[in-house]
Amino acid sequence: MRSINSRAGTAITPSIILSALVTQGRVINALILRETKTRYGRHKLGFFWMFIEPMFFVGLFLAFKLLVRSPTSGGMPDAYFIITGITPFLLFRQSMSSLANAIAGSRSLLAFPQVTTFDVILAIILLEFSSLLMVFTILLIGSAAFFGPYAIENPLLVLYGILLLGISGAGLGMMFAALVPIMPSIKNITNPLFGRPLFFTSGVFFTADMIPSSVRDYILYNPLLHMIEIIRSGFFVEFESQYIDHRYAFLFATGLLLVGMLMHQSMRNHAIKSA
Amino acid sequence: MIELRNVSKSYRTSTGFNHVLRDVSIVFPTGHSVGILGMNGSGKSTLIRLIGAAEPPDKGSVYRDMRVSWPLGYTGGFQGNLTARENCRFVARIYGETVEYVERFTDEFAELGDYFDMPLRNYSAGMRARFAFAVSLACDFDCYLVDEALETGDARYKEKFRRAFEERREGSSVILVSHNEQTIRRNCDMAAILHNGSIEMYDSVREAMQHYKFLQTRAA
Repeated sequence: MRSINSRAGTAITPSIILSALVTQGRVINALILRETKTRYGRHKLGFFWMFIEPMFFVGLFLAFKLLVRSPTSGGMPDAYFIITGITPFLLFRQSMSSLANAIAGSRSLLAFPQVTTFDVILAIILLEFSSLLMVFTILLIGSAAFFGPYAIENPLLVLYGILLLGISGAGLGMMFAALVPIMPSIKNITNPLFGRPLFFTSGVFFTADMIPSSVRDYILYNPLLHMIEIIRSGFFVEFESQYIDHRYAFLFATGLLLVGMLMHQSMRNHAIKSA
Repeated sequence: MIELRNVSKSYRTSTGFNHVLRDVSIVFPTGHSVGILGMNGSGKSTLIRLIGAAEPPDKGSVYRDMRVSWPLGYTGGFQGNLTARENCRFVARIYGETVEYVERFTDEFAELGDYFDMPLRNYSAGMRARFAFAVSLACDFDCYLVDEALETGDARYKEKFRRAFEERREGSSVILVSHNEQTIRRNCDMAAILHNGSIEMYDSVREAMQHYKFLQTRAA
């Protein structure tokens, strides 16, 4: 990747590897700061926008619940129930859509020899993860203040579930990024085709045991549902899902990531040229 | 010194492979301004991207023993929706330079005034070129790669930039690609011609010019 072997016959020593790593760290740091600036720096409230969407859904769900009383949270505290659904899902959707546009958006930066498409992808993944984790934490703190604190049963399992969603989104995003040069319109269909249907079938507003078994058999093919079930099982003492297929969720997430990386690698030059 | 050894590069197009460079070997010595002449579409930009490691060669290797700039051009490397200051910071960070120094130097040298804090997309071509050159000077490279852009901007600024280069000439080099003979004649002390996938270095700029004229008339 880096030009550490630019001179034929030069041995790759630990110090060369170290300096390449230092460069890579510098580049990723610079890319993250640049991306943050591009996204949130333009407007005074820029950073605040990140919180608007999940907060909107929390509010909507609570209002709905007050009015019709019908959507149940299976004994789980309402605010926490919806937060554990919406924030991880937003991580999935954000990773997918921002990676799909990442290569095209940063083509000009590839003129710098130390910047590779891999750095761009890594920087965006890190940025999405850290911002959504921050949103998650702040929403939890907010809920604790408003609705009373809640002791998370198994934080590591929650994090694992979030990670699976993020990885799936990143994998899909890389696949789209690779397809953009041959099918430019694909950017416009990622949301209607994947984002929206998945939004309603991934268990953001329900858990698998709340829905009729005839529908459940089909909806369980959605791997994101398993991931959100994992998150809620880890979060709530009151809730333990009987429908989680850990192997399915794990293989799906890592499989998407692997295919995404392979597609990106094979289409990289094409993508840079025509972006 | 920068050396290309048996470098080949081709691109796949809808009509088959386009061989931009075929088995090219050339040495760019330190302390010289080398101009590379080539007609439109002869692969000048590809060559400069290979020298600057913005792209890897298909075959062969590129050897550099100096700090080489990114290819300076009209837009190369910058984000239109960020301001000059923000772009400065990005460049300083990836090259491990002091952010404050690069910012200050660029601000003074590029003479952009209030535009320094406006998005680059609002710039004219001349202002963009001024900005690109100023940032690259701030980073203090050993070798500057220039893709055409020298001819933009007003005469006074071009002169300022040329002087800045002269000061650094001792240890540093310039590699400039252009299809414009004037640009090369004014800025370079050596010249090479890129034609049909191969490159040939000439001892004097004048000699290269004569041959380039010959190639142009033959092509026309």
